Amino acid sequence: MTDTQIALPPGAENISRGGFNLYAGPFWRLPGEGATHLYGLLVEPKHMNSSGSLHGGVLMTFADIAMSQTSRAVSGAKTCSTVSLTCDFTGPGKLGDVIIARVRVTRETRTMVFLSAELVCGERTLGVVTGLWKILEQ
Amino acid sequence: MTTLPAGFTRTELIDPFEIHVGPVFERGVKGARRFAFVIDERHINMRGVIHGGMLMTFADAALGQAAWDVCDHASCVTMTMHMQFLAPAKLGDLVEVAPVLTRRTRALMFFRGDFTVGDETIFSVASVWKILGQD
Repeated sequence: MTDTQIALPPGAENISRGGFNLYAGPFWRLPGEGATHLYGLLVEPKHMNSSGSLHGGVLMTFADIAMSQTSRAVSGAKTCSTVSLTCDFTGPGKLGDVIIARVRVTRETRTMVFLSAELVCGERTLGVVTGLWKILEQ
Repeated sequence: MTTLPAGFTRTELIDPFEIHVGPVFERGVKGARRFAFVIDERHINMRGVIHGGMLMTFADAALGQAAWDVCDHASCVTMTMHMQFLAPAKLGDLVEVAPVLTRRTRALMFFRGDFTVGDETIFSVASVWKILGQD
């Protein structure tokens, strides 16, 4: 086990295989809780801004990856693409935080998936996100 | 590393994550700066097109620079970002944005930005920023 896996909840699976996902990550899939899909991120020095907080770009990237993965998981599609995403930044993330994305599907149609997510660290909510994904390939 | 696009200079970045994904380029004067980056192998997804996370990170960086111009380097933070992904962009593309200040109050700055590759708008943002310490 790596130090990162020790910091994350048990059962974490690395989902960063290449490209920006790996360069900005790694990001982790966690065992879900019923209809809630869970993902994890350990905040590293590269993720920070100059004020000593987590950079907003990292939080939005994490949300995008967690919600895209969930879209694919529920639709069974090979590829989905983000159509729109809204992120409210409700609190700062700190170095060493283990941030959990709690993703839920609001509605799924034949071609679209509507999702919401909360990004939390313990009792703190860092971000609230909604978004729309298009199913590209079944 | 990316060569400088014609007419642009390098933006001085201070956030570790922006330095990690940069460089970012700019042209124009304070308050009317235009920002750009070139899509390289670090920025794409498994389908070979720009990753949404990189576009959103660049948006946060460019709007943050524009916000700094408006509030004269006071501390400010992103409150909300609303984004539409209109079209894919590919390796080697130059992505540009000239952030627009829609309104400024004592404590808030409202921005929007259309991100283009050539003549095509690929990504659009509306965002609210808070100037810290102002009610």
